[in-house]
Amino acid sequence: MSEQSVPAFSSEFFGYFAAETVLLVGLVLLIVVPNLGKGTFRVPGTQARVPWFFGGERYAFTGRPDVPGYISVFVLLTAFMLLLNDLLNGWDGAATSALVHAHGDTSVRILAATPFSRLMETLFIGALLLVAVASLDRYRSTQPGAVRSVRELYNNRRQADLHILLLTCALGMSTVALAENLFVLFVGLELASFSSYVLVAFNKESKAGSEGGMKYFIVGSASSGVGLYGLSLLYLWAGTLQVDALALAWSNIGQEVLPYVALGLMLVGFGFKVSAAPFHFAAPDAYAGAASPFAGLLATASKAMGMVGLFRILLVVTLPDGTEGSAVWLMLLGILAAVTMTWGNIAALGSTNPKRMLAYSSVAHAGYMLAALTAVGVWNLGEEALSPAAQEASEAVLTALLFHLVVLVAFKMGAFLVLGVLENEGEIRDDRALAGLGRRSPLLAVTMFIFMLSLAGVPPLSGFLSKLLVIMGIVKVAAVDVGTSGASIGFLGMDLHWVWGLALLMVLNSAISVFYYLRIGVVMFFDAPAAGRDHPVPRAVFATVAITACLVGTLLFGIWGDPLIEVCRSAAAALLG
Amino acid sequence: MSAETVSGTGLEVPSFALLIILLPMLAFPVILLLGRLFNGKDWWRGALKEGGLIALPVMAASLIASLAVIRRFIGETSASATSTVMHWVNFAWQDAATGEIQLFSMDFGFYVDHTTVMLLFVASFLCLLINIFSIGYMNTDPVNDNRNHRFYAEFVLFCSGMLGMVLSDSFLWLFIFWELMGLCSYLLIGFYYERPSAAYAAKKAFLTTRVGDVFLVIGLAMLWNLFQPHAVGGDALAYSVVFDGANLQAIADAGKSGALQLALGFMFIGAVGKSAQFPLHVWLPDAMEGPTPVSALIHAATMVNAGLYLVARMFPIFGAEAMHGAFTDLAFLIALVGGITACMAALIAFVQMDLKKVLAYSTMSQLAYIFTGLGAALWLANSLDWHHDDAAHTIVVVAFGAALFHLFNHAMAKGMLFMASGSVIHEMHHAHHDVHHHHDHDEHHDGHHEEDHFDAQSMANMGGLASKLPITATAMLVGSASIIGLPLIGGFWSKEGIIANTWRVALEDPRFFLPAILVLVTAGMTGFYMSRMWFMTFAGKPKTEVAAHVHEQTPWIPIPLLVLIPMSLSAIVFASLEATHYLGDTGSHLGEMGLLDGFLYEMEHAFANHDPFFLVLTYIAIGLSLVVGPMAAMALYGGQLADGEEAKPWLKPFVSLSARVNKRHRFDNTALAEGSLATALQERLYFDAWYDAACEKIVAGFSNLAAVFDRRVVDGAIKGIESGSQSTSRQVRSLTTGSARDYIMMAALGTLLIALVLWGVA
Repeated sequence: MSEQSVPAFSSEFFGYFAAETVLLVGLVLLIVVPNLGKGTFRVPGTQARVPWFFGGERYAFTGRPDVPGYISVFVLLTAFMLLLNDLLNGWDGAATSALVHAHGDTSVRILAATPFSRLMETLFIGALLLVAVASLDRYRSTQPGAVRSVRELYNNRRQADLHILLLTCALGMSTVALAENLFVLFVGLELASFSSYVLVAFNKESKAGSEGGMKYFIVGSASSGVGLYGLSLLYLWAGTLQVDALALAWSNIGQEVLPYVALGLMLVGFGFKVSAAPFHFAAPDAYAGAASPFAGLLATASKAMGMVGLFRILLVVTLPDGTEGSAVWLMLLGILAAVTMTWGNIAALGSTNPKRMLAYSSVAHAGYMLAALTAVGVWNLGEEALSPAAQEASEAVLTALLFHLVVLVAFKMGAFLVLGVLENEGEIRDDRALAGLGRRSPLLAVTMFIFMLSLAGVPPLSGFLSKLLVIMGIVKVAAVDVGTSGASIGFLGMDLHWVWGLALLMVLNSAISVFYYLRIGVVMFFDAPAAGRDHPVPRAVFATVAITACLVGTLLFGIWGDPLIEVCRSAAAALLG
Repeated sequence: MSAETVSGTGLEVPSFALLIILLPMLAFPVILLLGRLFNGKDWWRGALKEGGLIALPVMAASLIASLAVIRRFIGETSASATSTVMHWVNFAWQDAATGEIQLFSMDFGFYVDHTTVMLLFVASFLCLLINIFSIGYMNTDPVNDNRNHRFYAEFVLFCSGMLGMVLSDSFLWLFIFWELMGLCSYLLIGFYYERPSAAYAAKKAFLTTRVGDVFLVIGLAMLWNLFQPHAVGGDALAYSVVFDGANLQAIADAGKSGALQLALGFMFIGAVGKSAQFPLHVWLPDAMEGPTPVSALIHAATMVNAGLYLVARMFPIFGAEAMHGAFTDLAFLIALVGGITACMAALIAFVQMDLKKVLAYSTMSQLAYIFTGLGAALWLANSLDWHHDDAAHTIVVVAFGAALFHLFNHAMAKGMLFMASGSVIHEMHHAHHDVHHHHDHDEHHDGHHEEDHFDAQSMANMGGLASKLPITATAMLVGSASIIGLPLIGGFWSKEGIIANTWRVALEDPRFFLPAILVLVTAGMTGFYMSRMWFMTFAGKPKTEVAAHVHEQTPWIPIPLLVLIPMSLSAIVFASLEATHYLGDTGSHLGEMGLLDGFLYEMEHAFANHDPFFLVLTYIAIGLSLVVGPMAAMALYGGQLADGEEAKPWLKPFVSLSARVNKRHRFDNTALAEGSLATALQERLYFDAWYDAACEKIVAGFSNLAAVFDRRVVDGAIKGIESGSQSTSRQVRSLTTGSARDYIMMAALGTLLIALVLWGVA
C-alpha cells in the first residue's frame, strides 16, 4: 500500500477530500442563500446604511421554500459523483491513503481515504441523496390537490433547517468512514447522530414524531455516554486513540481487565447505532414517529455507520490473531447476533404498523450483519490464522457483509420511500394505509412488493444474493475451522464450528421473516382500500425518481452483482490490510 | 469457467449474442407497461398495432443478431464453442483438505455448435414470421380488443425463453429457460381465459408438462450428483463438464453408467412431456384453444422443439467412447415412444374435423418421427465404434443429422401450415361475419340463430377454398407435401433417412422392428390424413354459405406464407449441401461436396441405393406415403370446385385429379365412420377419459384424504404455530413499553451482561 500523507488544509487536502469540501460549501450555501434579502448595515457612528444583501426582506427567488432542497440535492449529487468516480477509477486494486498530519514532527493519521472508506462514504452520501430527492416532494408547497394544512406551511418554512441537517449528517457520516482515530470517529458519529435525532422529531406538530425523537435521543445519548466512557477507559489503558497504535497495543495484551471492559462498553455504544438487541428498544418508536424517508435513513446509512465503528474496533483493533484469549468478543458477538435476529423477527411477526414492522426487520438484519462479523473474526482464529488463505477467506466474508450493507440501501430505503409517498395522505399507523394499493397504484404496489421480496431474500433480487453470500461465507467458515479452535459442535455426524449455528439460525429466521414480508403483499393486493384512502395515490414526481433508483439497484445488483462485489472485495481488502 | 473455448479453435461466441435473448426479454415489460398505460388509445391501436410493432423490430433485431452469430459459425468445423458472458455469483472459500482457495461461480454462457446454429435459425426466423402473422391475425379480431398487448408481451417472453434455451451452455440454464417457456405457454394457451375450455386447456398443458418436468428435475439432480466431483467450483451441469470425455470415462470407471442412464431416462421423460409424446401427449390438441399464432409458435418455432433439443443434446454422452454399449436400452425406449406416438397420433388425425386439431396430431406424429430417428441415431452412436471406423462414423452422423434435419423441415412446414390454417380460420370468421350481417338485412332470422354456433375451424364447413384463398392453398399444399414426404420436397429427405436408419438398427437389434414397422406404416397414414385435410378444405364444392364468401384481405397474413413456401420447396438445396451430414457431424461443414455432387449423391442415395434392402424400403415408403394414403383421401374427399370457380394453374391438377379419383373409386365410408374404431379415435383413444378417471379416482381420493389431513393436522399445526408466534411476538413487543426509562434500563442490563462476560473471559 503506497501512502501519501498530506498536511491539513493544504491544497492536496481539498483534492483528496473533495466530496467533504463540497458538502461544507453546500452547508454555507444553505445558510446564506435562503437569507439573501434587502437587509442593510448601518455604518457605526453614522446614519449611513450600506446594503449588504443579507437579512431583512428576503428576495422572492432565493427565499422560495424549495430552493434549499435543490441546493442540497445538487450538493449531495456532486459529492456522490465525485466519490463514485474515485471509487471506480481511483484504485487499481492497490490502496492509497491520504493522511492528515498534525503536531510537529510526529505525523498522526487522522483521516484516511482507502477503498473501504470511499465505499462507505458513497453508501452514506447515496442514501442521503435518496432522502433529499424524496424530500423534495414531501415538502413541496404546491402539491396539486393537497390541502395546505398548517403543518405543511410550517414544513415549508423549515426547508433550510431540514436540508442543513441532512448535510451535517452527511459530513458526520463521512468523517466516521474516514476516521483513523477513534476520537475523531466518535465526533463524526455524534455529529451524524445529533442530526438524525432532530430529523426524527422534525415534524414537531406530530405527537408520535416528537415522542419518538425524544426517546431516541435519550436512549441514544445514554448509549453514547457509555461508549464514550469505554473510549476513555481505552485511552487510559493505551494512552492513545489512534487505531493503528491501539491495534499494536492490543496484540501485546496481557492479563488485564481494563481494555476488555472498555471494549464491552464501546460495543454498547455502537450496538445502539446498529440497533442490536437489547439496545434497539427506541428504534421502533423512532422509525414509526419519523417521516418515512428519515426512518429509511436510520435503517440504512445510520446502521452502516454503526457497522463502520464496529469494523474499526473489532476487525482492526481487536481482530483475533490466533493467540489464546484473543477471541474474547467472538462468543459475545455471536450471542448478540443470535438474540438480535430472533428478537427482531419475532417482534416483526405481529406488528401491524408497516413502519414498526420494517423497524423490527431492520433489527433482524442487524443480527445477520453481526453474525457475519462474528464469522470474520472466527476466520483469523486458530492455526490457519496467519496463512494467506485465511486472509483471503476472511475478506470474502467481509465482502459479503459490505455487499449486504450496500444493497440494503436499495431495497430498505425503497420500501420506506414508498411508505413516504403514502404518508403524504396522512400518518401511517397500521397496514390499512397500504390496503388496496394494488388497485390504487399498481406500479407502486408491485415496486413495494419487489422490495419486500428482496428483504425476504427471494431470487433473483439483490436481497437474495447478499443473504446467500453471507450464509455461504459463514457455513464455509464453520466447515473449515473444525478443531482448530476447539469450539466445534457435532451435527449429523459432522464436526462444525459453532458459527454454523448462526447460519442455521439465519436461515430459520429468514424463513420466519417471509411471513410478514409477504403479508404486506396480501394487504396490498387483496384488501380493499381503507376509507379516505380510496382515491388514486397523490403524484410525487421526485419520490418516484428516488424509488425508481432503488428499484433499479434492487434488480440490477441481484442479477449483475459481480462488479459491485469486486468493489466490495477491494474495500474489504483495504480494511483488513 | 472463465471465457474459454472448449475445442481450442479460438472461436468465441460474440458478446452481442446476448442481445438475441435480452432484447425480447426486455421488450416484455415495455410492451406490457405501455399497453397498460395506453390501452384503447387510437395511436396505440393504429400506429403501434397494440404492441405488435414494438415486438416486430425487436424480433427482427433478434433475428439479425442470430444471423450474425450463425454466419460466424456456419462455415466452421469446430466441435463447439462456448463463451461465458456473465458471472452471476462468484464466491471464494478455502478447501478444508487442501487449504486452497476455491471459487464457486454460477455463470451464464453460450454454447454454439451445428445443432445450435440450426435451432437458433429456426426459432428466431419463425418467431419473426409469426410476429408478422400475428399482426394480421390478432389485431382484427374484436374478441381481442384491449388485450393484444398482453399477447405480444407474452409472445416476446416466450421467444426469449426458446432462444435462451438454445444458446445456453448448461443443462441448468436450459431448464430455467424451459420453465420460462412453460409459464408462457400456460399464459398464451389460456389467452381467452374467459372461455372455460381455454382455461382448462391451459391448466392441462401446464400440469401435463409439469409431470414431465418433475422427472426432468430428478434427472438433472442425478446428473449434477454424478458430475459434481468433476466440476470443481462451478456448474456441474455445464455442457463443457457433461460432454467431457475424461469425466464420462471417470464415471464409467466408477461403474456409474447405469445411474447415468437412469438420469438421462428421467430427463427423457421431461422431453416426452414437453414434446407431447405418448403417454404425456394429451395436452397438445387442447392447446389449440390458444390463438392460432400461439399454435404456430408452440408447434413450429419453440416449445415442442425444446424436448427434441434436450434429447439431441444427449448425443455426446451416448456417443462417448466410455459409454460404449451402455445406453442401448434407453435408445430403444426413445425410439419406441416415438414409434407408438407416430402411429397413434396419425390414427387419431384420421377422424378429426377441426382443421387445427388435424395439424396438432400431425405435429405429434412428426415429432415422434424425430424421436424415433434420434433413438436410432443414439443407438448407433452408442453401439458402433464410430470414433475410429470411418464407415461407422458416416452412418452415425447421417442418422443423427437426418433426425435434426427433419426437425428443421418439420418446423418450417408446420409453421407455414399453422399460419395457413390461421389464414383460413381468420377469413372464415370474417366471411361469417359478413354473411351474418347480410342476412340481418335480408331478415333471414332462422339462419341467424344457427350461425351463432358456427365453427370457423371445422372442415365440415369449408370446401372449395382453393380458388378463394390461392396463397393459403398453395402454402397448405407445399406444407402438406413436405409433411407427407413428397419426393424432393421438404420432409422427404429427412423422413427417408429416419425410416432407413430405424430399419438399419432393426437389422442389428430386433427390438427395433416394432418402431421401424410403426414409422413405415405411419408414412402411409400421414399421406392419408394430410391429403384429407387439404382436399376437405380446398377441393370440392363449398359446404356452407360462409365458405363461398371467403377471400384474402390483410397483407400481414400472406407475407410469412410467401416467405416460407420457398423454404420448404428448397429443402433439396439444403439436402444437396449435405445438411444431414453437417447437422450430425460437428467436424464437417456445409456443402463439403459441392452443390452438384451433393445433389447427385443425394439423388442416388435416395432413389438408387446400392443396398437392395434400402432400395426396396425407400420405394415402399414412397409408395405408401405418396400413392396409398393420398389416393384413399381423394377417393373419400376429393371433388371438383363449384362451377365458375377457377383455381390457380398450379393447384388445378391436384383438384382435378382428386375429382377423377373420387368419381371412379368413390366408396361409402359411413359404416367405417360409425364403427367402434372411428368412435374410439374420435374420443382420442380414450386417453383423456382415462386420465380424467384416474385423476378422479386416485388423485381426487388422495386429495380428499390430504384435505382432511391438511385441515386437521397441517392447518392445526400452522394455526398453532401462527397463534403461538403471534402471542410470542406480542410478549416480545410488550417489552417495548414505550417508556424511555425502561429502554435505558434494558440497555443498562445488556451493558452489565456484556461487561460481566468480558470480565469473566479476561
